[in-house]
Amino acid sequence: MIALRARNVWVIWLSLALALLLSVATLPKFMEVGRPLWLALFLTYWVLALPHRVGMTTAWCVGLLADVLNGTLLGQNALILTLVTFLVLSLHQRLRMFPMWQQSMVLLVVFGLAQLVQLWLNALTGSRPPTLAFVLPALVSALLWPWVCVILRGVHKRLSVN
Amino acid sequence: MRLLVFAVLSAALMVVDARLSVLQPLRSQLGLIVEPVYWLGRLPVTLWDGATQELSSRSELAAENEKLKAESLMLQRRLQKLAALTEQNVRLRELLNSSALVDDDVLATELIGIDPNPFTHRILIDKGSKDGVLLGQPVLDARGLMGQVVEVMPYTSRVLLLTDTTHSIPVQVNRNGLRAIASGTGNPERLELRHVADTADVKEGDLLLSSGLGQRFPAGYPVAVVTEVIHDSGQPFAIVRAMPTANLNRSRYMLLVFTDPRSPEQRASDSAEAQEAADRQAREQAAGASPATLAAPAAASDAPVTSPTTAAEPRQ
Repeated sequence: MIALRARNVWVIWLSLALALLLSVATLPKFMEVGRPLWLALFLTYWVLALPHRVGMTTAWCVGLLADVLNGTLLGQNALILTLVTFLVLSLHQRLRMFPMWQQSMVLLVVFGLAQLVQLWLNALTGSRPPTLAFVLPALVSALLWPWVCVILRGVHKRLSVN
Repeated sequence: MRLLVFAVLSAALMVVDARLSVLQPLRSQLGLIVEPVYWLGRLPVTLWDGATQELSSRSELAAENEKLKAESLMLQRRLQKLAALTEQNVRLRELLNSSALVDDDVLATELIGIDPNPFTHRILIDKGSKDGVLLGQPVLDARGLMGQVVEVMPYTSRVLLLTDTTHSIPVQVNRNGLRAIASGTGNPERLELRHVADTADVKEGDLLLSSGLGQRFPAGYPVAVVTEVIHDSGQPFAIVRAMPTANLNRSRYMLLVFTDPRSPEQRASDSAEAQEAADRQAREQAAGASPATLAAPAAASDAPVTSPTTAAEPRQ
């Protein structure tokens, strides 16, 4: 077996930083309700592609940063991203075999669960959206998955990140 | 297994963060990264604004200039009246022997970010603990109260707006002094007055001012204008809706208000002490004057009040 040497790992961190940035970037008012879960999307790609490099520890640390950035309770996003990573990790053997659209379907369920946990935690701290709009980000993220996947795979292969 | 560890760790962190203030320093230090990230996130908007400003036509700028001049004139006129009114108010308060209205110190600040969660009304401003911002400090814009600081980081702070569902502010109807509590509804253009009796004297168009009763907001700043009063016999209280006077979702520049940092008890005891000192001085002066001439008690009692400036003023 070839030794797995870390190569161009900075690309992973750079992409996650970009996701953090995108998650707070200014959006027009009507698009804000459906803001994609950029962090979850990017993490999912790296977990699927390099499960030995990116795991729950990474997800947790990135989640903490997101908490600081969003001003939520420390640990809220950390918990959610860890959960997403766990689900993707436990499904990753199967997910990698699926065609793109099927991956999207599975991820819709995973992201929907993440949003549900997010809603519960928000309700505990007192703020609760009055509508079903909280599932919209999951839907948008699932629709975005093929594009994110193709772009990140391009970067991954071009720079042969390992 | 690892999931369990991280889940427990997250839950513990959340509880500690929500209930205790142990993590506050760590949080505020980590907050250092917030500003550059938000700045980068806003960059496209800033650039776009800059570009449109560069390219906006001369006539538009001239029109805007004209409008601003007119507005400035209006404000100047109001200011003229204000000076006289302030003077009068101070004199009346002196007559009533009540504490003087202190003008609050303010610090101008700029909006740098909006909370990405669309269901909370929070914004990020570009002043932090290094500029002396305090937790719970009120924030105003040109038209009224906007909210209060809920998190202070070294160079930025987070402000909870009046219309957030978790926010309430004690108010007073300007017309008759009726007290009420205005709660946020999650709609940026609506506040609701809680527990207002069906018979209470609130009308459409009433201006609501902050009453200062919660010890959080300074008294007398405009908060909202009543837009709707619904009397429903099926409800125990009247439904009163109001629109915030501040431009909660448009204002770019805001003011942070520095009110008296002393606690209300301390303030009361300080003013009582000052009053006692003044009384003692007056008594001493009266005592010093009376043995000199028994025939001039009226002049002696006048002495502390009649200062050269007031005597020289021919007005009124």
